[in-house]
Amino acid sequence: MDPLTTRTDLSTLIDTLAVVGRPIEALLFVAAVWLLILALIPKLRRWLPLMMGATTVLLVAGEGVLVWFHWRLYDIAVVASPETGVITGRLAVPLWVESEKLFVWALIVGVMALFMRRHRDELLPGTAVILALLLAGSTLWGHPFTMPLPSFLGQYEGYLQATMTSNLAISFPAYQGMEGARQYYYNTWFMWVHPPLLFISYGAFVISFIATMQMVRTRFSAYETTAYRWARLGFLPLTVGMLLGFPWAILAWQGESWWWSGKVNMSIMMWFLYTAYLHGRLYLRKRGMWRWVAGLAILSFVVLILTYLTTYVVPGAHSYALVVPAGEVGLWIAMG
Amino acid sequence: MDRDGLKRNWDFYLTVATVMLLGSIGVQSFAGTLYVWWAQRTVPGWEQLGGYARFIDVMNAIAAPQIVLLVIAMGLCVPKRLFSRTALLGISLVMLIVGAGTWVVAGSLATGLAVYLILAALIQVAVVTLTVAGVRGPSYLTEGRLTKTGSGLLHLGFILFAFVVVALQRSTFMLPVFYASAILTGVGTMMSFYADKLAIRRVRTVEPEREFEA
Repeated sequence: MDPLTTRTDLSTLIDTLAVVGRPIEALLFVAAVWLLILALIPKLRRWLPLMMGATTVLLVAGEGVLVWFHWRLYDIAVVASPETGVITGRLAVPLWVESEKLFVWALIVGVMALFMRRHRDELLPGTAVILALLLAGSTLWGHPFTMPLPSFLGQYEGYLQATMTSNLAISFPAYQGMEGARQYYYNTWFMWVHPPLLFISYGAFVISFIATMQMVRTRFSAYETTAYRWARLGFLPLTVGMLLGFPWAILAWQGESWWWSGKVNMSIMMWFLYTAYLHGRLYLRKRGMWRWVAGLAILSFVVLILTYLTTYVVPGAHSYALVVPAGEVGLWIAMG
Repeated sequence: MDRDGLKRNWDFYLTVATVMLLGSIGVQSFAGTLYVWWAQRTVPGWEQLGGYARFIDVMNAIAAPQIVLLVIAMGLCVPKRLFSRTALLGISLVMLIVGAGTWVVAGSLATGLAVYLILAALIQVAVVTLTVAGVRGPSYLTEGRLTKTGSGLLHLGFILFAFVVVALQRSTFMLPVFYASAILTGVGTMMSFYADKLAIRRVRTVEPEREFEA
């Protein structure tokens, strides 16, 4: 591996992604604004299904571009031992980390909204508002096309620079860090299964939440059934995804009390709350029980949002957050 | 109170107890997360000076009795499917006594819980077998054999998972038993949620739409 060539190839790839992706990012932001307008102004709502469809097509196209980017990245980003020069592996960076998280969540909500049949007209405005917020977050904060994978590319750039020094005292620790991240984080099968399952569940819970709000607004039991159907669709991948995280946690954080790490902690709480909600609704025929069920469903969704934000705010395993004493939130990657 | 009435009450109070325990662990988790966030922002060197280790100790100490109660509640949920009024209380009491006895004799709470979970798992296996066989004995809150089997399997999965957490974390059996529990939970959840789509002979029960009371 020639680090200089790798660096040039990587730079060209990032520039190409920015050229192709900048219009997509801009269009997604415009789509977010329009979704909000169409959802909030009842007279314009007849255009909402069309806008939702167009936005989802744009998201799928964007995901196609990101798949291409990651594929090229896999070709270019290799890790080689500084002692022997032998390539130890390629970096298969998953499509749902760092800057791409909100984008993937938005994509899943968009696709699910296309397949939404029961109470479609009533649920579409609320779903559009949440999709718009996810898109705004993805384009203004995540920048998946114009500022891709900042932590990964930062670490890889550091590794390339260290390799170019030809000084083993500098290059070997950088190699160990990069190779560790490759073996135990980016390329593990857990990373390719655990997060997407959770994002599928997050998508379903968004629509379940909208249906619950409709139930609270109208007190109509049919919305509760709709909310339940989406919640069960979310609960299955949530449970399997979280269960699959368990042996990974045991192996990766051996000897650590990882269960009190902010993200794990909040995720377990979210699972508990959704379990409580699904158990609570078995007694829906009891007088006044619907209020408890609705309360649990809303609380579960609020905790879902907090669980997502915890990654960026509370340091720990899973986290991108590093709180410096002055109170500024910096970025780092804990698992690597 | 008749046998079904007692079972329904037992079901309800166990569900309330479970939901309250889940909620209280949830509140603790949230408070803990907020505390870490606050401490790391305001106390210089909090993690390095042993603050994090102390936090872990306190959190573990508060959570331990709640987890133990949760495991007990999970175990008590099992015999209710199978036994009549008197036997239900008797079996639950025997399970608790055997678990507590093992704790005292072995001097290890984890061993006591493990034995208690093994008893619960054995009863749950019987519940699932009888449900699959179509015997009228096991009682459920849900309708349909496929839904009931799914519910039985997923609860068996959770009992096995609890067993892994309590007894097998350092064992070579950890992964195989864990994967068995994950498969049981996944398949059971799917059967329980989507029985109407998986069944060959479908009996569609339509819940009448209504307006909830104000």
